Amino acid sequence: MGTLNIMVGQEQGTVPVTVLRVEGDIDAATHSILEEKGSEVIAAGASNILLDLSGVHYMGSAGFRAIHAITNMLDDSESAGMSKSKHLKLFNPSDEVSRVIKTLGFDSFLEIHRDRDEAVNSF
Amino acid sequence: MSTKQGFDLSVEAKLENLHEVRDYVDRAGASFGVDSAVLADLRLAVDEAVSNVILHGYDGRAGQVELHMERDDDAIIIRIRDQAESFDASHVNAPQLDTSLAERPFGGMGLFLIRKLTDEAEFLSLPGGRNELKLVKRRAIL
Repeated sequence: MGTLNIMVGQEQGTVPVTVLRVEGDIDAATHSILEEKGSEVIAAGASNILLDLSGVHYMGSAGFRAIHAITNMLDDSESAGMSKSKHLKLFNPSDEVSRVIKTLGFDSFLEIHRDRDEAVNSF
Repeated sequence: MSTKQGFDLSVEAKLENLHEVRDYVDRAGASFGVDSAVLADLRLAVDEAVSNVILHGYDGRAGQVELHMERDDDAIIIRIRDQAESFDASHVNAPQLDTSLAERPFGGMGLFLIRKLTDEAEFLSLPGGRNELKLVKRRAIL
């Protein structure tokens, strides 16, 4: 069966950033692991999350549902409306995952970074 | 040239089997020489369809999901069959993709992806209370 591992790291940019490095497939069987980890770090005080998707080979709609839920847990009034989230950003999704991000319109509301330092300092 | 050759898979309706379903699509697609970008689309569409059958059709009950994948000229046809509750796709609203995430309702993304990534997605009722989702992807083999 597919497994999902999530490593939590802390980085200091302009503000503290919690990095969730996800490895594996995010599907209907595993998406709750991501959602629960997001909920856990937010409950522990994280207010800026960089979701490192470098190690994600497959992501279906369930993965986007988890990202959607985490975004809603984080975002406050300054990120409302049609602007991109200031508190959850994506790092290095594969070409395949990037295509689905665009297909589902998530690229309109979430920044996608390719440079790690730039990503951390963008918060 | 019309080449009719099929690959079959039958799995228990459990979410932990989704990985096996995706591997099956990859293996069968590679055997047919499906273009890699098209194969990614088919893998996603089939994963979404089988997820829906398990989550909303069987809804925790035991059952089987059967898949058949064949080539017809440059098209790939995939049939996904189950004996779960029938699914009325006409009642599922499309996701509001231009609405911010804070205001966007959850749900509807799976069916949207299935329709977006295939050329045909037809829900059929078969004799004996069986359901079939027939997916067609044209120009799948370059």
